[in-house]
Amino acid sequence: MKTRIVISCAGLWLLCASILAAEPSAQFAKANQEYAAGDFKAAIDDYEELVRSGRDTPNLFYNLGNAYFRKNDFGRAILSYERALALDPHHPEAEANLRIARDEARALELVPNRWERIFAFADENQYALAASISFWIGIFSVATWVLGRGRGRGPIALSILSLSIFVIAVGASYELSRGKNGRGLAVVTGDKVEARLATADNANRVLTLPAGSEIKIVSQRGDWVYALLPNNLHGWIPSNSAEQVRL
Amino acid sequence: MSMFRRILFLAPLAIAAMQSSFAASPGVTAVLSNSQPAVGQMVQLEIKVNGANSANVPETISIDGLEIHQTGTSRQFEMRNFDVSSSVTYNYTILPLKAGQFKIPPQTVRVGNDSLRTPELVLNVAQGSGNPGSSAGSAQSGQSTVGSKIAFAELVVAKKDAYVGEMVPAEIRLGFDPRARGRLQDGPELSGQGFTTQKLQQPRENLETIGGRTYQVYTFKTAIAAARPGKFEIGPVTAKAVVVLPRRPSAPRTTRPRSPFDLFNLDDPFSDPFFSDPFGSTGERTELPIQSETAALNVKPLPPNTPPNFSGAIGNFTMTADAKPKTVQVGDPITVTSTITGRGNFDRMNGPALEDERGWHKYPPSSKFKQDDDVGMSGEKTFEMVIAPNEKKPAVPPLVFAYFDPVKENYVTLRSTAVPIQVEGGAGPTAATAPAVAATSAAPTSTVGVTPAPTAKPQDILYQLIDLGRVRSFTPIYARPVFWIAQLASFILLLGFVGWKIRQAKIDNLEAQRTAALQQESGELLRKLRRGELSPQEYFSNASRVVRVKTALVKNLNPNAVDAETAAKAFDLGEHERAQLRTLFDRSDELRFSGSGNGAKTISSEEREEVLRLLESLRA
Repeated sequence: MKTRIVISCAGLWLLCASILAAEPSAQFAKANQEYAAGDFKAAIDDYEELVRSGRDTPNLFYNLGNAYFRKNDFGRAILSYERALALDPHHPEAEANLRIARDEARALELVPNRWERIFAFADENQYALAASISFWIGIFSVATWVLGRGRGRGPIALSILSLSIFVIAVGASYELSRGKNGRGLAVVTGDKVEARLATADNANRVLTLPAGSEIKIVSQRGDWVYALLPNNLHGWIPSNSAEQVRL
Repeated sequence: MSMFRRILFLAPLAIAAMQSSFAASPGVTAVLSNSQPAVGQMVQLEIKVNGANSANVPETISIDGLEIHQTGTSRQFEMRNFDVSSSVTYNYTILPLKAGQFKIPPQTVRVGNDSLRTPELVLNVAQGSGNPGSSAGSAQSGQSTVGSKIAFAELVVAKKDAYVGEMVPAEIRLGFDPRARGRLQDGPELSGQGFTTQKLQQPRENLETIGGRTYQVYTFKTAIAAARPGKFEIGPVTAKAVVVLPRRPSAPRTTRPRSPFDLFNLDDPFSDPFFSDPFGSTGERTELPIQSETAALNVKPLPPNTPPNFSGAIGNFTMTADAKPKTVQVGDPITVTSTITGRGNFDRMNGPALEDERGWHKYPPSSKFKQDDDVGMSGEKTFEMVIAPNEKKPAVPPLVFAYFDPVKENYVTLRSTAVPIQVEGGAGPTAATAPAVAATSAAPTSTVGVTPAPTAKPQDILYQLIDLGRVRSFTPIYARPVFWIAQLASFILLLGFVGWKIRQAKIDNLEAQRTAALQQESGELLRKLRRGELSPQEYFSNASRVVRVKTALVKNLNPNAVDAETAAKAFDLGEHERAQLRTLFDRSDELRFSGSGNGAKTISSEEREEVLRLLESLRA
């Protein structure tokens, strides 16, 4: 009797899980069909609804970017591609379409600094993971060496190697987190947004930003954000004219 | 007569002779320090009488348009080859009150009974700028003479009218009477709203005579730029300085001897004798706030017909451009270097833009500025922009740079010529032609910029993906709870590992102690056995104990649990040794249980040797 109850509960749980999983997939398929039929607005609505429900997948943002691209909303298209790449830095389709969208919009990009270029072969999460693993290997090696009363060169060599990797990985992760693709990265969604010297519409311009241009938000004051601009200057832009890449 | 007495006798005669010699030929000269001063610029007159210790000279010289006063006397003695000469110099200060040519007539100087006359002197006084605020040109200034004549502050703004964002040169001048030994404590600061100021540079320091007074003047250069149109009050300039002022004595002023500085202004604080003799009295250090007047600046808005590439540059500029390398593959970077040279607001200047960006992937430019002046208004700014062709291109498109010329009051667009390049690989060219000039200088064109119409067919994006894929998080891995749970688990694992290792070490330590104790016991017993002082009971008991201990060490056993067979097996003994061992254990048991009275009371040396050989042969 008890076994039957357990089996029934497990079956019920699997059924619910499959229904819940099937629902976003169905909506995604529906949005794709709308896109194929040329109804880009409906497709955008459906994709956006999935985004709002927390289904943050690289493919969803990629498809959403395509839909915006078709609507000639290059700012949001670039934003969506950037989000797809933030979730999966090696998304080839998103990379390709982002390049095309940037060319179309003449969008400006932030320049990666020297360290970002050096550490570009892995992303922030991979470095954090490498740092964690190398740290514990290093600590265990040190413990082995100390508790083994300094016998053997193997543990100490391994600990030096691991802790060196740890330091490099932490540095890389830190640099990438505060760099071009870090937490403050935002994309200008409006077209020809003026970055200004002060939080006033009549303040002097620093730079005119085409839609899709990258900026790095430094701080926010009221309806204005203070951001690093692609020309390495800083300026104020209206907060509703740019969206952060990382949700 | 001794030599000493002779000297005493001759010395007065020699002195008298010398006195008579220089009294015999007195002469007089008169010299002006400057014969062509401006109005208000002080001139020194020196009347020098040679061959005399003193003379009667006029205290004042009256000439209309000049104010002449005697300021002091100095005496000189000179001895050359026993020829002693003396002179006395009378100093006068002349203050020209008006322009023109003045003749200082010969003055009569009485030396003893002689009467000498100075030569006639001519002074040409020019109409000059006596006041510190009267700067030349269109400059305007705000001046203050705070602290009477001790210090002043002055703001000189080069223009009265400017455009929004235009850099206007400005000078801040702070002057101190050198005698006050003024030292800046705070500032200078230029207050006011609606404009930005360039950082003040290190001041230039010089001595200037202003209104007949000499000032130590510090000149700070800067530039101001208005952020919005309107009428602005620039300044005032404020500063705080520490000056040294004389302490006011309680005695009435009239009793004080006149100082040379007190000739024209009896209120001068430096008329105090302290300044005549700074070491003879003490001064008082006083903090002195200095403030200038404000200067007005009328700021006009920029004209409305802004060219598309205008990014706020105001001034007068020229541009050159070049691109390297000239031969690339599709997608390879090309560095386009453009240099803007001239005078204007370089700090707000963005780099030139490509006239036609289609088919190019471009990165924001980097820039460096080399200034030619103190405030960064003049110089050259070099922009480096990296671009990569997405397809075959015959040339790097022209660069376009727009600025506003405040002199001509219109916008100017500079356009470089295209730089021909060779792009290999990829699709054919889609862009237009290129002139055959590599590095070119740009010429100003019309005031309206041109935005090229797109000529290339836009590339199409890739397909939709049908798989929704796995949900991922934007949160970095180190900000997720699971990451820290994993770290905690690793930490617990580390603690377990450390605990286990410590326990192992403790166990190893106990085993080592036990082994050492057994080895020590074995050694002790063998030494006793060799000495041969033991009774048979003790001897065999100890011998059997040695066997047990050695076996326990080899087999890691409890020594008390070892018997003859175990020991023989542990050391892999032959039959003979095995029998000996059994006999040893039997003798030991027999003696232990039967008592010491049975059998012989001593052990023969042969038997002892035999037992010792057996014990020493027990090796693992």
